[in-house]
Amino acid sequence: MSDQSHIGHDLAPGEEEQHSVGTRIVGYVVGLGLALLLTATSFFIAGTDLVWQPSIPVALIVLAIAQMGVHLVFFLHITTGPDNTNNVLALAFGLLVVFLVVGGTVWIMAHLNANMPPMDQIMMRQ
Amino acid sequence: MLGKLDWSAIPFDQPIPLIAGAIVLIAILGVLVWVVVKGHLPYLWHEWITSVDHKRIGVMYILLASVMLLRGGSDAIMMRIQQAVAYQSQGYLPPEHYNQIFSAHGTIMIFFVAMPFVIGLMNLVVPLQLGVRDVAFPTLNSVGFWLTATGALLVNMSLVIGEFARTGWLAFPPLSELSYSPGVGVDYYAWSLQISGVGTLVAGINLVTTVLKLRTRGMNYLRMPMFCWTTLASNLLIVAAFPILTATLAMLLLDRYLGFHFFTNEAGGNVMMFMNLIWAWGHPEVYILVLPAFGIFSEVVSTFSGKVLFGYRSMVLATMAICVISFMVWLHHFFTMGAGPDVNAIFGIASMIIAIPTGVKIYNWLFTMYGGRIRFATPMLWSVGFMVTFIIGGLTGVLVAVPPADFMLHNSMFLVAHFHNVIIGGVLFGAFAGFEYWFPKAFGFRLDERWGKAAFWFTFLGFYVTFMPLYIAGMLGMTRRMQHYDVAAWRPWMIIAALGMAVLTIGVICQIMQLVVSIRNREALRDRTGDPWDGRSLEWATSSPPPVFNFAFNPDVRGEDAYWDMKVRARQQSLEHDRPEYQDIEMPRNSPTGFVCAFFATIMGFALIWHIWWMVILGGLGAFATFVVFAWRDHDEYVIPAEEVAAIDRVNIEERRGLVSMAGAV
Repeated sequence: MSDQSHIGHDLAPGEEEQHSVGTRIVGYVVGLGLALLLTATSFFIAGTDLVWQPSIPVALIVLAIAQMGVHLVFFLHITTGPDNTNNVLALAFGLLVVFLVVGGTVWIMAHLNANMPPMDQIMMRQ
Repeated sequence: MLGKLDWSAIPFDQPIPLIAGAIVLIAILGVLVWVVVKGHLPYLWHEWITSVDHKRIGVMYILLASVMLLRGGSDAIMMRIQQAVAYQSQGYLPPEHYNQIFSAHGTIMIFFVAMPFVIGLMNLVVPLQLGVRDVAFPTLNSVGFWLTATGALLVNMSLVIGEFARTGWLAFPPLSELSYSPGVGVDYYAWSLQISGVGTLVAGINLVTTVLKLRTRGMNYLRMPMFCWTTLASNLLIVAAFPILTATLAMLLLDRYLGFHFFTNEAGGNVMMFMNLIWAWGHPEVYILVLPAFGIFSEVVSTFSGKVLFGYRSMVLATMAICVISFMVWLHHFFTMGAGPDVNAIFGIASMIIAIPTGVKIYNWLFTMYGGRIRFATPMLWSVGFMVTFIIGGLTGVLVAVPPADFMLHNSMFLVAHFHNVIIGGVLFGAFAGFEYWFPKAFGFRLDERWGKAAFWFTFLGFYVTFMPLYIAGMLGMTRRMQHYDVAAWRPWMIIAALGMAVLTIGVICQIMQLVVSIRNREALRDRTGDPWDGRSLEWATSSPPPVFNFAFNPDVRGEDAYWDMKVRARQQSLEHDRPEYQDIEMPRNSPTGFVCAFFATIMGFALIWHIWWMVILGGLGAFATFVVFAWRDHDEYVIPAEEVAAIDRVNIEERRGLVSMAGAV
């Protein structure tokens, strides 16, 4: 079906733009370096007492999000270019659904846990 | 050697399933023998079973749905009769059998009737409407269909080998846990849904990709027919929601098979989490089913009113709004579980908000009809019947979206009436409208209008006679799934509902008669031009049935209602097409991958249900090997030479030219 006409030029997830092998290798190496750096930092932060202790979870979350960003940009090649609209929209839709379902579940289950404890705990409260 | 399987699995003491199973088995064997003796087997194998043509796969999906509709309908008839006679008595169905019937009815109707019906119609029509030659992943499409068929087969096997779940169609724990359901019923349920769920997910990915990536020249997003939009929305929901179902059932299976405690009563399991997760899939599922139906009605109403769809952009917006909001309302299925006023209020409001885009759609259809020259052909009758019925169902839905009202009506017959009102009135009417509307496209001849209209009127009236009494019974306090009851006030309504079921059955018989009569009169009903309804979108621009490559040339789209536009231009300029340069067309080769893979999946599913571990490994390896063989294939396309394309296309052009000149004369 090679003669199927496509509208505009649009890249599939993971599809390569036309770059030379050298540029592509550099891209992957930089990505790998950043990913390793972020991973190492996370492990270091988790065990250190150099920073204020309550800030550690926040730092880990920030590092995790940065890690996702590195993966998206260097390995999955999600960019803001016009050839990437579908990928960006798909990502946004996925994030929205995950946010709704996970967020909603946490919220609902917290309320259920508060309102509907097992019978023995209801007895203890009274 | 055979795990839990032995002769006690076959219910020799229960005549109903055994006789039903025997009749079905004889029918299947009869058809098989007929096929083999008549020498149709090679045709069936090469043209249908291994076909990767989206039109053929669509037809097979619809065939599967129709057969399963008869099975699910028989369950419904048995339940209605049971409730009509089981006043102060046990009726004729023992409780454990009755419980299996209502569980199987729900499971079958949602997963193996409604889903394959809408996916079949999408498969059949969407590539044609987009003006392309096939879906994005043709072989994967075949795999998806056959895995769905595997699930259906496993559910039907449970009729004679073992038992089906007695837990209701969503298998709520702790009832569905091993301690309360030690039999194989829940395992049949869970594994058939796991396997067919993979098939559905695959179909969803395929159709999303098709709409996003394969459109003909000039087919912008805002020029796509409405059915393509609703297909996109519905399949986005499949891709987002079905993994939740798979994960939830996987956790239930871990509980049952490996002693986990996700949803058990003891050891820290949380039953409420199952309700939460299953409905996080379950509510989007409702919209997965009804959005394509909305798309079908949009096409039908616009065609038979002879007008452009009113408010196209608001329709697109409403569709996408429903797509997102459908993920924000799932708690309304368990208001009564006790999440408290804050949570209930928010989800109640969200549930009411989703009625707004739906209302927008209803008004758009009404305004499309307004001032149009309406032809009341059968598809249009189903559409108008839908609008009337769906509004009633929608309003009772808004009613139960109010948490205090829901506390009264939860789990009552009112709820049963409500969701049948929207699913029959919405999805099933939509499926029938689409069936009548696109049948000529798929097979090249129209369906008989007299029988079609009779089928509509019997189904329409039968629906009201069956389900309106259930609303009243619910108001009188009758809960759902009752095997017998002692309240005299409910009895008359149950008897009326059973009579309604008889009327509905006549509707189904009319539908079958319509098919028989139409096939016998097919020469008289032949559709030679490929455009029997004076259609507006591209599927009518090719012959009926379309050639395997759909279009000799990728059509050029210059606006909404692409084919209508072409017809108008052709009439105005009385275009003599300059002799087109035909070119070779490459099409995907047929592949038995889907069928073989599903064969092994069936073995694996059956073995998992009965704990036959060596067979599980065998089935798993077989399915994996099938994929490996497919992945290493050498030739995946074949070429249709230009001369053949030209020969096929010229016949159609001649017929069509006749039509245009006739229309010009009028």
